[in-house]
Amino acid sequence: MNENRRQILEMLAAGKVTAEEADRLIAAIEDQPPATNGVRSQDAPTKNKAKYLRVLVESHEKDGPTTVNVRVPMQLLYAGVRLASLIPAKAHNQLDEALSKHGVPLTLSQIKPENLEELIDHLEDLTVDVDAKEDNTKVRVFCE
Amino acid sequence: MTPNFAVVGIQTPTWRCPRLWLPVFLLWIPVILHSPLIFLVLVAVAIAARVTIWKLIAIVWGILSGLPGTHVYVHAEGSQVLVRIL
Repeated sequence: MNENRRQILEMLAAGKVTAEEADRLIAAIEDQPPATNGVRSQDAPTKNKAKYLRVLVESHEKDGPTTVNVRVPMQLLYAGVRLASLIPAKAHNQLDEALSKHGVPLTLSQIKPENLEELIDHLEDLTVDVDAKEDNTKVRVFCE
Repeated sequence: MTPNFAVVGIQTPTWRCPRLWLPVFLLWIPVILHSPLIFLVLVAVAIAARVTIWKLIAIVWGILSGLPGTHVYVHAEGSQVLVRIL
């Protein structure tokens, strides 16, 4: 019997979780790929962690094309988020208020490296195309 | 790893600067020479921000180590600016 499954059944027997919760937990572990004692199967796809955040902007204006190509290492982003921890709590509140006044309801103190990691996971391949009336502007933000 | 070189290139429609390879690693010399002063500044910042000096050093080191790989290229109206940190 799987170790996780056994623990869930023990919790159910001890009355720590209800039958419905145990059912959901078992369903959750069944969805996970089987662990092979820490050794990854060769067939299992390896998810490469993104190293860089890329921002590409292409715009065709009357004066000529405009291109912006920015590549920021993820490590720098994480360090930047940690740098935000140096901002005093009072300044956090003032910044939050100022941001919400300008329509950005953001709480800086809640942004943590793990949140950023979650955000980056969801930013795998985001493409935003902005078409102006006269100009054709394309913005692409993605991780690589 | 901290940055070793910075590549800077600037080009305008009328003027072009050759790509400059700036040896950023040479900045370690003034940093080491001024290390007592830098340490005092770090201590002052750590006290002001109410964090430990080690945490502050870790953050600064994290930023320095995160810089290599940064690439910024802007081309507009015939002018180009390129900054790469290696």
